[in-house]
Amino acid sequence: MSGDADLVAIIRTVDLTKRFEDVAAVDNLNLSIEDGEIFGLLGPNGAGKTTTVLMLSTVIKPTNGTAFVGDFDVRKNPNDVRKLIGICFQEPKLLWVSTPWDVLNWHAKVCGLATEERKRRVKQVLNDVNMWEARRKSVHGLSGGMRKRVEIAKVLIQRPKIAFVDEPTAQIDVIGKHKIWNMIRQLRDEGSTIILATNELYEADVLSDRVGIMHKGGLLVCDTPRTLKDSIPGGDIVEIHLEKEATDKVLEELKSLKEISDIAEINPKSLRVYLNNVEEVVPQIMKAFLKRNLPILSIKMSEPSLDDVFVHYTGLTIEEAQQKMIKGEADG
Amino acid sequence: MMGIFHIIEYDFRNFFRYKWWLAGLISMNLADLFVMAIVYNKMVDPELARQIMGYFSFFAPGVTILGLFASAFMIGREVNMEVRREIHYYMLSLPLSRIELALGRLLAGGLRGMMYMSPLLLTTFAFLGIPSPFQLLIILAALFLLAMGISGLSIAIAVSTSSFEKFVTARGLVYYVLFFCSTIFYPLSLIQSLGEEGIMPQPLVTLAAINPLSNGADIIRSFLLGIPAFTLDMVMNLALFSALFATTAIFAYMKIIQRT
Ligand SMILES: Nc1ncnc2c1ncn2[C@@H]1O[C@H](COP(=O)(O)OP(=O)(O)OP(=O)(O)O)[C@@H](O)[C@H]1O
Ligand SMILES: [Mg+2]
Repeated sequence: MSGDADLVAIIRTVDLTKRFEDVAAVDNLNLSIEDGEIFGLLGPNGAGKTTTVLMLSTVIKPTNGTAFVGDFDVRKNPNDVRKLIGICFQEPKLLWVSTPWDVLNWHAKVCGLATEERKRRVKQVLNDVNMWEARRKSVHGLSGGMRKRVEIAKVLIQRPKIAFVDEPTAQIDVIGKHKIWNMIRQLRDEGSTIILATNELYEADVLSDRVGIMHKGGLLVCDTPRTLKDSIPGGDIVEIHLEKEATDKVLEELKSLKEISDIAEINPKSLRVYLNNVEEVVPQIMKAFLKRNLPILSIKMSEPSLDDVFVHYTGLTIEEAQQKMIKGEADG
Repeated sequence: MMGIFHIIEYDFRNFFRYKWWLAGLISMNLADLFVMAIVYNKMVDPELARQIMGYFSFFAPGVTILGLFASAFMIGREVNMEVRREIHYYMLSLPLSRIELALGRLLAGGLRGMMYMSPLLLTTFAFLGIPSPFQLLIILAALFLLAMGISGLSIAIAVSTSSFEKFVTARGLVYYVLFFCSTIFYPLSLIQSLGEEGIMPQPLVTLAAINPLSNGADIIRSFLLGIPAFTLDMVMNLALFSALFATTAIFAYMKIIQRT
C-alpha cells in the first residue's frame, strides 16, 4: 500500500497469523487501517475475515505476529484494546435466556454508559433497528434477521472508538440493510473507525472508504473501491452504435489510447470497447468519431462492479494479484 | 472492578429466570427433609438416633448443605453451555479483564448458592434453635467459602469438558462421591465404624472426614446440636479445600476459555 507513512493508522497488523491445527486461517497478514475510515474486509467464505476480527478484538490469540489496535499491542495490552472496541459478531451472541432489551441494556452498562444516557440510547437504537416492539420477546422467539438486528444494535449503542462489524446485514431485509448502512456511516462520521467484514460486494462498495480483499488468509489487494475497479484492465465497457461503418483509421486512433485495452467489432456499425477510466475516455472517443464525420447513434456505458474486482483478484494467486496491482499503479 | 458486579448481575439474571423452578427445588429439598426425617427416624437404630439428636435434627443441616451444593454448582452448567455456543467470545470481547470475568463468575456462582440456601438454613434455625451472633458469623463465613469452592469446582469441570454429556457425567460423579462420602446423610462415627468393619474402603472414609461438605454440615451441627464438637480444624479444612477449588477454577477458566 502506498502512502501509508503520512496517514494515521489506528490498526496495524504485523505478520498476523492464526493456525487452527494445520489450517492457516490467517497467514502473515499485514494490514493498516486508518483512523476514521470504514474499512471493508472482503473475501470468499473461509478467507479468514472473522478470524482476523476475532484476533483484533482480543477474543482469540494470534499464533504468530501481532497487531496494534489504537497503539496497543493485542498480545501485551489486551485490556487496553478492549476498552476501545466494540464488535458485532457474525453469529449473533445473544445471552441465551434473555430479551433484546435486557441484552442491550446490560451490554451498554458493561460498556460504561450512565443510566440516563443508556436508557435513551437503548430505546433510540431499538427503534432505529425496528426492534422496539419485540424488545420484551425472548431471544429464542426471534427470527434470524431480528437476532442480527439486536447484534448490530450493541455496537450502535456502544459507539466504540473502533467498531468491528462482521457481516452486519446478513439475513436482514433490504430496507433494514439501507437503514443499518446509514447508521454505520453515521457512526463513522461521529469519529469511529469501522472494520466491516463482508462477502457482500455491494455492501462493501457502497459503504467502504477502502477495501481489502482477503483470500486464503492473506491480503490480495487493498485500496479504494474506485481504484480497485479501475485496476481491472479493460474493466469498463462502452458500446457504440454508428450511423456508418467505422473506418480503420478511427479504430487505430482508438487503439492508440492507453486506457483502451481492446475493441470488438460486433458488426461494422457496432463496436464494443473495453477500457479503463470511462468518464475521461468517452469524450475522446466521441471526438475521434465526430472529427471523421462518423455520427454516433447511441452509446452505452457499463462500469465494472466490485464483483468483477473480486472475481478478478480471487481468481489469481496472491503473487499474481500483487504483481497486477503494482503494474496497475505504475501504469496509472 | 465494576466489571465484577456486571458479571454478577448477569449471572443473577440468568438464575432468576428459573425462579419458579428454583422455588420448586427448594420446596422439594424441604419435603425431603420432612419425609426422610420422619421415615428415617423410624428406621434408624434408637441408640444411634439418640446420639445424633434425632434424624430430623441431624439431617436439617445436611439438607442445607445439599441445597447449597446443588445451586452453587449450577453456574457450571451455564458456563459449559456458553462455551459450546461460543457466547464466551462475546464475554471475552467486553471491556473487562480476564480476572474480573473469572472472579465475577466464581462469586456469582457462590452467591447464588448462598441465596438458594438461605430458606433451608432458616428452616434449620427455626427447628434446631438460633445460633449466637458470633456462631452465625462463623456459619455464614464457612458456608460462603464452601459456596465459592463448589462454584469453582463446577466452573473448572465446565470448562474442561467439551460436550454437555461429558459435563453431566462428570457432575454426576462428583455429586455421588461428595454426597455419599460425607456427613450430609450420616454421622462420621457411622462411616468410621463401617470402615473398621471393612465394609467401606478406607480412602472413602478419609474422604468423608476431609470432605468440605462434611465440614460445612458439621459446623452447623456443632453450634446447634453440640455434636460433633466444634474444632477450628473444621473451618481450616473447609477453607483450604474451597481456596483450592476456587483458585483452580479461576486459572482453568482464564486459560481454557481463551484456548483458541
Ligand atoms: N475455531 C476454529 N477451529 C478450526 N478452524 C477454524 C476455526 N475458526 C475458523 N476456522 C477455519 O479458519 C478458516 C477461516 O475462517 P473464517 O471464519 O475466519 O472465515 P471467513 O472469512 O470469516 O468466512 P465467512 O465468509 O464464511 O464468514 C476456515 O478455513 C475455517 O474453517
Ligand atoms: Mg466470517
